[in-house]
Amino acid sequence: MNRKRSLLQNILLGLAILIVLFFCLFPFIQILSTSLKHQFDWGNPSLIPVKFNLDAYRELLGFGESTEEQIPETIKKLLDNPRITKAQREKILARYTATGDIFPFPRFFLNTFLLSSSAAGISLALAVFGAYAFSRLRFGGRTTIQRSILFVYMVGGVLLMVPLFQMSMKVGLAKTVWGSLFSLLLIYIMQTLPVSLYMLGNYFRTIPYSIEEAATTDGCSRIQSLFMIIIPLSVPMLVTVFVYCFIIAWNEFLFASVFLKQYRTFHTLPLALQSLFVSKNAIWDRIMAASILTLVPIVICFLFAMRNLSGGLAEGGVKE
Amino acid sequence: MGAIGLIMELTPEQRESRLGWRLTAPCLGVIGLLIIYPIIYNIYLSFFDVKLTGDKIFIGLANYEKLLKDTAFYGSVLTTFIYLVGTVFGTTLVALLVALLMNLEFPFRSLVRTLILLPYFAPVISVVFGWQFIFDPVNGIYNHVVVDVLGIATERHNLIGEPKTALFVVIVFDIWKHFPISYLLIVSKLQSINKDQYEAAAIDGYGPFGRFIHVTLPELYFVLGTLIILRLIWNLNKFEDVFLLAPNVQTLPVFTYYKAFTGIIDQGFAATVSVVQFLVLSFLIYFYVKKVLRW
Repeated sequence: MNRKRSLLQNILLGLAILIVLFFCLFPFIQILSTSLKHQFDWGNPSLIPVKFNLDAYRELLGFGESTEEQIPETIKKLLDNPRITKAQREKILARYTATGDIFPFPRFFLNTFLLSSSAAGISLALAVFGAYAFSRLRFGGRTTIQRSILFVYMVGGVLLMVPLFQMSMKVGLAKTVWGSLFSLLLIYIMQTLPVSLYMLGNYFRTIPYSIEEAATTDGCSRIQSLFMIIIPLSVPMLVTVFVYCFIIAWNEFLFASVFLKQYRTFHTLPLALQSLFVSKNAIWDRIMAASILTLVPIVICFLFAMRNLSGGLAEGGVKE
Repeated sequence: MGAIGLIMELTPEQRESRLGWRLTAPCLGVIGLLIIYPIIYNIYLSFFDVKLTGDKIFIGLANYEKLLKDTAFYGSVLTTFIYLVGTVFGTTLVALLVALLMNLEFPFRSLVRTLILLPYFAPVISVVFGWQFIFDPVNGIYNHVVVDVLGIATERHNLIGEPKTALFVVIVFDIWKHFPISYLLIVSKLQSINKDQYEAAAIDGYGPFGRFIHVTLPELYFVLGTLIILRLIWNLNKFEDVFLLAPNVQTLPVFTYYKAFTGIIDQGFAATVSVVQFLVLSFLIYFYVKKVLRW
């Protein structure tokens, strides 16, 4: 359809595109704008702050505002005393800084990052073998297994929340911090594994079998050909699957709240942000700044993996 | 000797089969232990009075009796129903319209196409508070526009504070959040439609609307069907989007969460709600696997 559009049609088209863009992007602009505003400016509908305010970011990232302000004079004098050891000094300082007031964003960021990247890494490693078997090897029960994976991939976390918590309780994991973290790691692997299997399986099928056949006639075993041919050929897709799993784990809230609620220092970002919001209602700038900082790594991942990701998703490798 | 050889050495087919099972074993272990077993264990738990600590007492069908008499449960079913109809219909419609728009040629098209995917990829947690702010009764732009600029309402409303209006906000939020993925699937199908079909339809005298009805829609039939059923399945499972934006909107997952982990904790009852939800879900998934995947 190469017909030229009339001027009116062009205007209507432009208008429609602007409406769609506005609908999609307005909440992000609003978040960014509020994160940069002073309190007096919050109710002002203009998106451009009257006066830029970077305090929220400074506070979250842990520089700028010194924590010493909250320490009473007498304690300060005590700290200046050369006779107390460094360990003692830190202990006293910790007592005055570890009030609920401080939101240790870098700490939460690190928690989430470590948990998400380990889950994505393990899930990917397991899925490489599984997906290879599904796409390349013939064995009895293969179709049944593939169907079942499709099935479990649609069972949501909500249905598993009570039994998984009870199982974790029964074996004693949910009773300790590290046990809870371990349970959470296993759950994130479980939540990302079906989608990794699905996306990788589809991808491996697109690699011509003849390349592998040439290697096996040269004496390579199947495992060798997996490592020397299939994996090197799939690097972009492996990265994409890793990023996708990482995003799923990064965003997860339900199980984090079930297992980690009582261990504040181990909160992941979704959980930490939610508690921040519930505990103090009127600190919009900090909440919005934290939202932006949670969003940024995902946007980077997204831009990075965009090409393969939208292709893979369009082929049906979607998980929610 | 032949017989011994058969026992000692495996045929290539058998070796392949063994390797296949060995390679899938770790995945099957994880899925079996953490998905299949919990589903069955959940059914088992629904017959018990379960404490948070793990202690349980067998109570037969008492949880099911309680569920059938619970008016809050029926309220939750109704909320879930409205939520599903609104989001599934809304998401698919918006996705279709945007896909048709993005299929036209215009400057910066690839940039625009990338930007509209952003709501889908953004973490729920990083956008819910922005939405809360938009509808905030004191500072939010929504009340500013509706009350001060347009004058539709005379006083400011806390839309998210009221369960009835909050459900509406949640539906709009979910459409915003999830239409990009449906759009992506529709637009990739649109691009694969043969241009000749449009020209043939144009020769037959069909205008743009006629071409849409007679060429585009039949081609999209399969992808739209898939999207509707998948969206039903996903949104029936959806917890975060609803709970984080408006904790007072009790769809089934949120209802289950409250029963299992807050207030008077009753994990056995929560398991019972999950069993009911699982039955509905299984029906939908069965339908999906049988009908949609066979198309």
